[in-house]
Amino acid sequence: MRAHGQFSELPEIGATDHVCWVYAGEGDLDVAVGRFLDGALSRGERVLGVGEAVIESLDRESVRYGGSGALAARGALETLTLDEAYAATEEFRHDRRSGFYDAATHRAVTDGFTGLRVIAEASLLAADPDLRAELVRWEHLADDYIAQGSLITAMCAYRSDLGLDALSDVASVHPLARAPDGVPAFRVFFDEDRVVLTGSVDSFSAAQLEKVLASSPTDGTSTLLDLGLLEFLDIAGCRVLARWARSLEDRGGRLDVTGASRLVQRVWDVLALQRLGSVRFVGVPA
Amino acid sequence: MTALLGESTLGFEHEALFYRGEEDFLAGLLPFVREGLEQDEVVVVAEPAHRLGLLHDALGDDAAAVRFLDMAEIGANPARIIGVWASALQEQVDAGRALRGVGEPAFHGRRELELVECQLHEQLLNHAFGAGPSWRLLCPYDELSLPRAVSQAALHTHPIRTTTADRLPSEAYAAHAWMETFAADLPKPTDAVLRGIYGPGDVPATRRTVAQYARSCGLPTEQVEILELAASELATNSIRHGGGTGTLAMWIEPGAAVIEFSDSGHLTDPLTGRLAPALDSVGGRGLYLVHQLCDLVQVRSSPRGTTVRVATWL
Repeated sequence: MRAHGQFSELPEIGATDHVCWVYAGEGDLDVAVGRFLDGALSRGERVLGVGEAVIESLDRESVRYGGSGALAARGALETLTLDEAYAATEEFRHDRRSGFYDAATHRAVTDGFTGLRVIAEASLLAADPDLRAELVRWEHLADDYIAQGSLITAMCAYRSDLGLDALSDVASVHPLARAPDGVPAFRVFFDEDRVVLTGSVDSFSAAQLEKVLASSPTDGTSTLLDLGLLEFLDIAGCRVLARWARSLEDRGGRLDVTGASRLVQRVWDVLALQRLGSVRFVGVPA
Repeated sequence: MTALLGESTLGFEHEALFYRGEEDFLAGLLPFVREGLEQDEVVVVAEPAHRLGLLHDALGDDAAAVRFLDMAEIGANPARIIGVWASALQEQVDAGRALRGVGEPAFHGRRELELVECQLHEQLLNHAFGAGPSWRLLCPYDELSLPRAVSQAALHTHPIRTTTADRLPSEAYAAHAWMETFAADLPKPTDAVLRGIYGPGDVPATRRTVAQYARSCGLPTEQVEILELAASELATNSIRHGGGTGTLAMWIEPGAAVIEFSDSGHLTDPLTGRLAPALDSVGGRGLYLVHQLCDLVQVRSSPRGTTVRVATWL
């Protein structure tokens, strides 16, 4: 399974990693940007810096490589302002297609790089509740793309003063995060053929999960949800999953759930949640 | 059907059958069951396993037409029984047939706390079905093996008293007794109690505290997980509907680990959590699930507050 969970020290980045880095100030951002940049250059990847804060941080951290200009000149660094990135990914956000990143990765490989490493700072989007909802959907879609092993890894940095609600929203769609304790309550990410839900979902976080799942891409056949690493799920959480199953059904798909505990299946039976949405429990509970 | 229509004005007939020993049990039950079958009623019998076997054998070929439920299973926590009768009744009303039930909630071998809840259950049956469609429910009480106080209390909880010879109104019947029982304080625990207060934001910590306590009591993983879920649902209820905060208390009694949730809310409907919640209903699911999953659940509520006490047998 892909690396997932909470970390304090930035780990060595591996293929398919999608990291959320909550930072307290410029110095804290530079630590992560520097490590990410070092890793990318040592592996021969192209870095794509997105957002003004990251572009400035890259300027500081690339001094030891001769500066941003030198890296850009040999194609190892490209940058986009937040506005440019927002415009460039519009198709991605609305059509649920990965055209922009696909093209960027393809171009990096054609230019002789081993892959593409995205470093993004989108605190401005996360600060606005409406834009944040869209951002969370975007991050979730991006995670699907990254999980497919498309030679792309990403680190998304967010300012810690955004507040716990906003940080929880954005961190929940990254498999790996450095975030305050208890943030996020759950994580949703993609792994091979499945959607993985970890952490805990209760009455107070269920609405947030519902929003993420509503945006989850589906190809109209079956979707596999893995609950094997889930710590806790209450009734509200079960109902969100049942409603998601219903919406997948309405779109011609189906929800299969693997790794569900015996208790989750009992809750399903006792509350007759099958009436809400049809779920097929597969696999043997741990 | 004419005979049924004639009886429809009778409403819910809730009667206690007092018997002494197996022969007496059959003498009371067989005519009741057979009369139901003769009138083309659907007969559902909820008894502990050994009584089911006894009745099944005595009914001979007629047994095939009777639905048997193991009371020790469906009514392990007595608060689950009304839901079972409610769905059986709904099923028969939908099918245009009459229901006749036999239910022995207070059977020999029940723990003392279970018998306490059986009494509240019997009181609430009158409240639950009193205004609804006609049906008969006969509740056998074994005078030889039950504590005398338990069988005596059945005179207060049943409007009709039956023996193998007579069927009479019970003069001691108190239709609204549930109000007093439901509003009464539960007895204070006598042993050392761990206490904590929870508020918004404390639900995860509260469920973890309960899970930790359950583990420390030596409960198996499955029970620990059930209590963790119960804690989350009950603490959430306090925060959403019970004044925003609550008190958690945990202690050990002889034979049971107890966790208790109290808050300042008032459950005005004593049947909350006893009936299966509608698919789109706003509340009542948490308490319903807790009743279904936990060994014994005692709910008491008044304008002074609500207490939900969950016992897990050790």
